[in-house]
Amino acid sequence: MATAISDLMEQFQNEAGQAGAIVQNASAESEVTALVLKLAREHMAKHAVMSGSPLANACRLKEGLMEAGIEVIETALKKQPAGPDDAKAVTDKLKRKYLEADMGICEASVGIAETGTLVITGNEGDERLVTILPRIHITLLNVDNLVATMEDAMARLKSGFPAVPGRRLPRYVTYLTGRNTTGDIPGALTARAQGPEQEYVVICSKGIGGG
Amino acid sequence: MSKAMEKRIHAALHDKRIHDAFQTWEPILKFISMAAGMGIDYEAARGKIHAVKERCINELPQLVEQFKRAAVEAGAQIYEAKTGQDANDYILKVARDNGVKSIVKSTSSLAREIGCREALEKVGLEVTETDVGDWIIQLANEKPMHMTATSCHITIEQVTELLSSASGEKLQPEPQCLLDATRKTLRKAFIRADMGISGANIAVAESGTIVILTNEGNECMVTTMPRLHVALVGIEKLVSTLEDATVILRLLSRANMGMKLPVYISHISGPSIADSSPAALGTTGQGPAELHIVLVDSGRSSLRQSAEFREALYCIKCGACINVCPVFRSLGGQTYGHIYQGGIGTVLTAFLNDFEIASDLASLCMGCKACTAVCPAGIDIPGMITRLRAKIVAEKGLSWTKKMAYRSILCNPGRFDNAVRAAAFPQRPFLDNDGMLRRLPPPFASLTNTISLPPIAYRTLHDRLEDFAKPREAKAKVAFYAGCVCNYVYPELGMDVINILGRYDAQPYFPPGQTCCGAPAFYEGVTDTAVSLAKKNIAALEVENPDYIVTVCPGCAAMLQKEYPRLLGNDLGWKQRAGKVAGKIRDFSQLVMELSPSAGKKAARNVKLTYHDPCHLRRGLGIYREPRQLLEREGYEIVEMEDSDVCCGFGGKTVLEYPELSDSVLQRKLDKIIATGVDTVVTNCTACVLQLRGGLDKRKSLIKVMHSAELMAGENKQLPPKTGD
Repeated sequence: MATAISDLMEQFQNEAGQAGAIVQNASAESEVTALVLKLAREHMAKHAVMSGSPLANACRLKEGLMEAGIEVIETALKKQPAGPDDAKAVTDKLKRKYLEADMGICEASVGIAETGTLVITGNEGDERLVTILPRIHITLLNVDNLVATMEDAMARLKSGFPAVPGRRLPRYVTYLTGRNTTGDIPGALTARAQGPEQEYVVICSKGIGGG
Repeated sequence: MSKAMEKRIHAALHDKRIHDAFQTWEPILKFISMAAGMGIDYEAARGKIHAVKERCINELPQLVEQFKRAAVEAGAQIYEAKTGQDANDYILKVARDNGVKSIVKSTSSLAREIGCREALEKVGLEVTETDVGDWIIQLANEKPMHMTATSCHITIEQVTELLSSASGEKLQPEPQCLLDATRKTLRKAFIRADMGISGANIAVAESGTIVILTNEGNECMVTTMPRLHVALVGIEKLVSTLEDATVILRLLSRANMGMKLPVYISHISGPSIADSSPAALGTTGQGPAELHIVLVDSGRSSLRQSAEFREALYCIKCGACINVCPVFRSLGGQTYGHIYQGGIGTVLTAFLNDFEIASDLASLCMGCKACTAVCPAGIDIPGMITRLRAKIVAEKGLSWTKKMAYRSILCNPGRFDNAVRAAAFPQRPFLDNDGMLRRLPPPFASLTNTISLPPIAYRTLHDRLEDFAKPREAKAKVAFYAGCVCNYVYPELGMDVINILGRYDAQPYFPPGQTCCGAPAFYEGVTDTAVSLAKKNIAALEVENPDYIVTVCPGCAAMLQKEYPRLLGNDLGWKQRAGKVAGKIRDFSQLVMELSPSAGKKAARNVKLTYHDPCHLRRGLGIYREPRQLLEREGYEIVEMEDSDVCCGFGGKTVLEYPELSDSVLQRKLDKIIATGVDTVVTNCTACVLQLRGGLDKRKSLIKVMHSAELMAGENKQLPPKTGD
């Protein structure tokens, strides 16, 4: 079993790397925070947005970053502070945060080893905005959610749909492989396009987050 | 063929931007072709896609209903548009009803097809294309040069000018500077947009999901930032399950860009919703409050009803075909007139847009089959083009000259033979000392502008082989089907074939009833003549019940082996007879190898040569090893040229109808031959021999062009005893 997981990790690392992402491993909760802090320093990040992530919660990542002076906005609507603002004002505020953010952090539900793909899911769409708008993007992945093939990933996502009543797909399922690129500007065949400058993946090994 | 198309071809061939763009892109296209199948069983993967598309197009009406139910359940709004106009009107209505002023758009070939952006801009809505290539051509007000690399022909200087004006900044012609400005400007457009319009690569019926692929990430913003998302989905995009979608995803990016997967694949099922929030914040998420999916028919249902052309709906819009098409390579995408490009584009344009323009486009295809060899959905594009031509002939008829040529002359073997022989006389004054025709007078002048032609023989092969009409007893009875080029232009090659086969204890004979295989008629769409000639040739070839039928022109061989059984498919008797003949067809080298499986290798001659794969031999009949094996066995060293299997440009009719286009393709082939440094190129097709020899002669090259049989015959041209003794 251990061999299988390490094979998957190696394959994921190779594939994602070739596609333009930078993959790192963390074997302890504190290591996750340390890695993210290091990236924040490298990229002079002061403002972060973060969509729902059980791993981040388990590692107390928000707290760790805030202690280092980095603003962390949790983007899920249910995390928004209660106040007089209506829905539009809240989402407008959030929109500004995405646009100004140096760092976007989210968690992938599944990682696909054969292609180095992160599968990021959600219903609100905040995880997509966290993925596409900030200057750098970091995806946390629980090693238990690393599967071998695209078909395996789809089976996980469907989780019984449509046979099991009540099951449905998340509204948004985003497969992210590598880093955004365009070949449309003459002379720059694989330049960064309209998404983040850099894509990072932190694979959290067994034990982190109570797994 | 038309004057208008000739003009367009001429313009494209002289457009420096196109030439430079494809020069730059050639290594990338090569990379894509190579990377597409790397590490996987490409044939198996595309077999799976073909099966998925076949099933889903079959079940399309049920899938539409299922999709509608699932999408509505997920909270989306569905609109079924019968026509493109219908779809545009609906989007306009949604825009009006919601006070939309500004729209951002991601790539959609359907949107281009129906003129969506134009319809919106017409009423004063601001529409910004957000894919960088799409945006550049929007600013340049041009049509795409390639389905995905839409702006590849726009120079960096032009891009700088366009982006400077769009961004309001004076930019430098430097990629990083241009990219930064692009990002900044487009981001502003995303922020102010009230509506996002996207296409969809795939739509999944079981979950009401649309699947969108991009590399840039712009689609994520288009479909998440504005409060309204409209997705334009052609109904042919529907598949049944998410597993079906995955089958397609396995090849789509590989075929398109040589990448396993694109950077982003979005599966969107419904508008955004809040996971759970304080009641005051409502139930909408942070993405669009509304998702409108416009399911567009616009000719797709009726295309689906056509048994001959429904395969066109299997197209997954990857662009792999145009990446390998020699015509596309010469002309670029704008020559195709509307939106869809290449051979498949011709069929789609015919049925989804304008049957009239398609008639012109249908004449461009050279029938080289490079497209169908790579198509991830396994679509028989050249087959559909031929059927499209037949449909055009059936509906619009033929010009007077073509009617004469195909329905009066070609279909009548005696008349045809007389006509060709008659042409041997007026050529006399135009022959150079070495017997070549290099300057024909008008109206034939264009024929010799680009290639030098061989003369028509006074004694045809048929004349020379009158004494070889029947076989004698021997190990192998081999009927020789020579084809028109060999019979009328290279009869010495025919004699070489007889000579060599005699050495392998085969008894070659020349059935006198043979006539033109009918390919010119078939590829013109004059099916009745092709059928009539098929029957005549089958009757001539089956008479002595040969063991094999040897050919030196794979164009003819492909007709006899592949097309005759299809042409005669409706008549069981003829179909069986065609099948029997088909089973005996052999290429010359293939036959020699088959007759002498244990022959030893001859001593090395220290002669290097290169081998050109004729399209109909390599892709039409699957033969490419035997000619090489035979040459090596004969002691020759083969130096492979780059692109050995790319078309020589003869293209059957192309050399006559569009000589400039034919020459454009030819020149690239000649460059590759010359680059090998050898002084002989061998090929197993008489038409390729004619084309390559003619082109090399115009270049004053000393490189010899030979058919394998010619090479092998060498100096020892001793004929076996005549038959009938």
